[in-house]
Amino acid sequence: MKKAAALFADSRFLLAFAVVIGAAAGFASLSALQLGSFLVINILLAQSINLLTGLAGQISLCHAAFFGIGAYGSAIFMRDLGLPLPATLAIGTLASAFFGYLLSFPSGRVREFYLAMMTLGFGMIFYEVAKEWTGLTGGVMGFSDIPSPELRNLDVFGFPVTSVWYFRLLLATLLVVLYLLRNFLQSHYGRAFYAVHVGEVAAGSMGISKAATKRRAYALSAAVAGLAGAFYAHLVGYLGPESFGLHKSVEALVMGVLGGLGSLVGPVLGAALLTYLPDRLQMFAEYQFMIYGAILMVSFIVMPRGLAGLLPGRTRFSKRPARAGKEEPPAVAPHRFTPSEARGEALLEVRDVSMSFSGLLALDGVSLSLPRNHVMALVGPNGSGKSTLVNVVSGIYRPTSGRVLLQGADITGWRDYAVARKGVIRTFQDPRNVPNFTVRENILLGAHHLYRHGQVAAALNIPSALREERVYLRKVEEVMEVTGLVTVADEIMRDLPYGYQRIAEVARAVVSDPDVILLDEPAAGLSDVELVRLDRLIRHLRARDIGIVLIEHHMDFLSDLVDDVTVLDDGKVIYRGGMEGMRSDSAVVAAYLGVEEVPHA
Amino acid sequence: MEFAIQLVFSGISVGSVYALIAMGMVLTFWTTRVINFGHGSLLMVGALLTVVLGAGRLGFYKAALIALGITAVLMVLAERAAVRPLVKLAGSMGWIVSTLGLGIFLQGFAAKFFGSQAVAFPSLLFTNDDTIPFLGIRLSAQYLSILGLSLLIMFAMELFLRRSAWGRAVRAVAHDPDLSSIVGIPGRRVVVLSFAASGLLAGAAGIMTAQISGTIDPAFGFNLMVLGFVATVIGGMGSSIGALTGGIFLGVLEKLVGGYVSTAAQHGIAFAVLMIVLAVRPQGLFGKEEITKI
Amino acid sequence: MKRNMKTVVGILLMFFSAVIAVPVPGGVAMAADTIKIGMTSALTGPYNEYGEGNRRAVELAVQKWNKAGGINGKKIEIAMLLDDQLVPDRAVQNMRKILDNKEIVGIIGPAGSGPTLAVINMAAADGRPYMNPIAQTPTITYPNGTDKAPRANIFSFALQNNVEAIILGKYVAKRFKKVGLIHESTAYGVTGVDLIKKELKTAAKIEPVAVESYNQKDQDMTAQVLRLQKAGAAVVVCVGLGADLAVLRRNMGRLNFNVPLVASNGALSLPYWEGAKELVIGTKGSMIAVFGHEKLNPAAAEFAKAYKAKYGVDRWWGDDPKRPQIFMSLSVSNGYDAATILFEGIRRANSTDPKKIIKAIESIRNFQGVNALYSFSPQRHHAIEPDDLAMFEYVKTPTGSKLSIAKD
Repeated sequence: MKKAAALFADSRFLLAFAVVIGAAAGFASLSALQLGSFLVINILLAQSINLLTGLAGQISLCHAAFFGIGAYGSAIFMRDLGLPLPATLAIGTLASAFFGYLLSFPSGRVREFYLAMMTLGFGMIFYEVAKEWTGLTGGVMGFSDIPSPELRNLDVFGFPVTSVWYFRLLLATLLVVLYLLRNFLQSHYGRAFYAVHVGEVAAGSMGISKAATKRRAYALSAAVAGLAGAFYAHLVGYLGPESFGLHKSVEALVMGVLGGLGSLVGPVLGAALLTYLPDRLQMFAEYQFMIYGAILMVSFIVMPRGLAGLLPGRTRFSKRPARAGKEEPPAVAPHRFTPSEARGEALLEVRDVSMSFSGLLALDGVSLSLPRNHVMALVGPNGSGKSTLVNVVSGIYRPTSGRVLLQGADITGWRDYAVARKGVIRTFQDPRNVPNFTVRENILLGAHHLYRHGQVAAALNIPSALREERVYLRKVEEVMEVTGLVTVADEIMRDLPYGYQRIAEVARAVVSDPDVILLDEPAAGLSDVELVRLDRLIRHLRARDIGIVLIEHHMDFLSDLVDDVTVLDDGKVIYRGGMEGMRSDSAVVAAYLGVEEVPHA
Repeated sequence: MEFAIQLVFSGISVGSVYALIAMGMVLTFWTTRVINFGHGSLLMVGALLTVVLGAGRLGFYKAALIALGITAVLMVLAERAAVRPLVKLAGSMGWIVSTLGLGIFLQGFAAKFFGSQAVAFPSLLFTNDDTIPFLGIRLSAQYLSILGLSLLIMFAMELFLRRSAWGRAVRAVAHDPDLSSIVGIPGRRVVVLSFAASGLLAGAAGIMTAQISGTIDPAFGFNLMVLGFVATVIGGMGSSIGALTGGIFLGVLEKLVGGYVSTAAQHGIAFAVLMIVLAVRPQGLFGKEEITKI
Repeated sequence: MKRNMKTVVGILLMFFSAVIAVPVPGGVAMAADTIKIGMTSALTGPYNEYGEGNRRAVELAVQKWNKAGGINGKKIEIAMLLDDQLVPDRAVQNMRKILDNKEIVGIIGPAGSGPTLAVINMAAADGRPYMNPIAQTPTITYPNGTDKAPRANIFSFALQNNVEAIILGKYVAKRFKKVGLIHESTAYGVTGVDLIKKELKTAAKIEPVAVESYNQKDQDMTAQVLRLQKAGAAVVVCVGLGADLAVLRRNMGRLNFNVPLVASNGALSLPYWEGAKELVIGTKGSMIAVFGHEKLNPAAAEFAKAYKAKYGVDRWWGDDPKRPQIFMSLSVSNGYDAATILFEGIRRANSTDPKKIIKAIESIRNFQGVNALYSFSPQRHHAIEPDDLAMFEYVKTPTGSKLSIAKD
């Protein structure tokens, strides 16, 4: 069994195997070929919804619409405009991707129930348009006479496409799509999808723009669905609007959920089962709705990772690029100092920032400045505004007044991901990692905004993209060594104790090559050994020209480590100076312990 | 002029159906932030059970009451089986998918065991021809009874929420379930009761609406549910006034578009409005924008 | 990821090999030397009224012929009976399986226009005789128009939209000047109304005052009814199914717009009668006349007897134990006639060669079927003509209502 597994693991064997299947197709019956073609189309459709709903976490009740846009697109351009198959397939795919992209704008701003409704609305509108726009789609009469291998009137540049070759074409397309998807998933783009799914705010703190990621997810998902639809149109030769109603979207969803959302193999399983079963069991049709309903009802409870969860192995989210052989240049640290700092200005400066939430004043005229090679503690009683200040600096809130300057540049009100890309990285009170990723994959997320190669390069695994992967993977290795995480590098994050998760989040921040790191209560919940490691890490960072702000309550941890401390109370700075001085400052004592009441005589 | 008035009144009538459905849906939202995507099937179950049970010696009125009881119980079971285990994990996608599955399952079950053909539904309260003349046009008594029921329920819900202790409990549980249980509010019971009430309203909506069309089939209720969703989005989910207004607004808009533009456009307008409202003001007319602490 | 690729491939391997290797169920029958026919229909699902009815009809026909010795000594067998639930995709898959089976001699098609349109090109390309029992869209049989040549191997036993439109149009044009049309937003509804418009124009140069549409299962048609009313329609002509017709009638009653309602055959279905209750009085519908006549023709009487013997007085038969309901000609006996003519064609050809069978069918003249007297020709591949139809009307009786043929 293991030997067989090893054999299958080789991509070249995979390719050979696919060739064998393709050759065997020459001996299959027409109905077997047709079923096989439906299967491949359903796999593509299931992969498409998995991209959007499983990976990017955006529920979709409108995939029938993307499927339909691809189908009608390809059909119209071939039957009415006479374009050849490769062109119409591309047009169907692009048309669908375009509408997916458009939909991402309103959809990206809503979540959960509202998102489901939005996609439902889009799906219904498509259905109505397909029914009413008779001139374009044939309306309820349907769109007939689409060139198809069944009718032997489909050809590509003069060569007739038989059912056998259509199936082979589908198979080849599927393999290419799976290859590209696998590469994409393992690239930083794929990781970003998952990061946005699991936590939009955390993703922003790593420099991942949730809006851009969602747009990409919608466009890509719609593209794959559109491609499936285009193939469908020529397989069946006839399109009717009833085929693209809500039930089709539900079918796509069931395939995804049953197979297992969030993995690459899940959609294949879901599609295979739901194409094969209705065909083999004629009585399946009677119970079909009950079965679909039951699957949807219990899947998340009983089999949250679907059928794919029953199989060993997991979907990888990082590449394993082989060594080229040549010596690789070491990862170079960026030149840090800027002209403004040469002038003596601080690395990070907060000038008179106030933050008001509908009248509640969380920050009142707070100012501070942070130089390089410096650790500043930010302390204060609960509710004093520490986290709010960090949120303002990191771009989650726009301050009501005041300015935030980084290396002299005004970053006030910049979006969180833009601030992260500029060099300010923060962590959260509760470690916000991606639970399904390994430690390595989580830390690699930190490097997201450093990557230069584009989506196409990522999908095609071209050498320069792989080189960049190696560079950052090595970087992650280095950081893991410093933070003592090498032993758990390939463990799944959610299986690890709290201490590791906490340190991993800090490691992720380090990989980003920040100029400023804002750590929100990093010491909370750590054991003594882990505290020592954290202390060492922070000193290491300080030595590397980084400015660090440390929100903490753990005074012992802070005492030797920090260079100075800022104390907040009620949104105001009440003390700035050394740790020693803070302990005896009357204002600080009053804020923490209260004022001693003088008993009235 | 008569044309316009008749359209508006029929819009209000149809809208009150949407409102009744919408109010049933927001009930579960108040306590658990969950909306039942299978609500439409509960409408169907209420109506179908009334017909099936009523055909025997029970008579339709008793059958209707039993049907209401069953829909309430179904919702309680659904909460236990399909909602509670998922609210904690898998974010919102979990309960959306599982309640959707519930609706599809019920529809399939009804189709398999009661047949897919349309069945006649008797007139329980007023007949089709009972009309009340008003301003030169005729108002259907059946629709008026639904409007009356919707208004009644809206007032009851508002009163309940704002004046009674249980109402305050509901709001507390919605706001912070853990905190409210610490303070001694029986959160579990509040949630279960809200689901039961939602099921009751769904069944009632189904029974009242089925009288108007005269026939029901397993797919009955689905389209109405979708329009009910649109009504909740338009009006905002935080209040029953929102649900009522949203429903009426939608109904009137639909009829006016159908009357003056085209009946084909009537179907699409609801979804166009849905997408626009979601894009521009997701919290709806009466909803409050939500700010969460990060 | 390699592990996953392995499992992907493993699954693909499993399914492809299973698909290719395992024989199709309902496929090659073991019994040698029978005449095999294939059928796909809506046996289950929301439209199984028609599909199941057709299935019973075809089986009854097979039974009858086999009892008399089969076709020229060979027994008939329904070798493939597949369920498509009126879903086009599934009909396509089923048809592919049927056509793949080279032993199939003749085919009975799906129970509606949607799936039939999806499979018709495939069936036409194959060439074996294909009987369309129900789908009313004329382009199924006459792709280039009803005045041009039909598809070589397609024969239709349905009540074609254009035929129904002729009788509806004539009836309405004779009596009314201001005609309001309303239809369901499906192929059936749209083509039906287009053809009625044409007929109104030809018969009396009438343009309809309004044309409205509704979605199947719409609960409320106030806007449509008001527009018809506003346009001044003196009659409402509806092309649609019974359940929606009931909603329409009730809506009209609620708005006190009680002009005559003339409808396509949906008016005669059970859902309309059950749904509209007292309001059915006065509604007129077009329908195949056979079961409305006082005395049934010999073939119809024989069919009725056979059906009642096997299935009793059920939903397809109707309420009256003495005679089948009028609607049965559209849900059951059309399938019976489709099978009968197919068998007759094979018998006359004394061969299973498709071209010979087709020629034989085309040579049939005045053959007494249940629904009509059938005559085919190379130009005429449809069975039901306006003469086989009648306008029916719901009249009041002491106990409620009944259907009777309307006065001309």
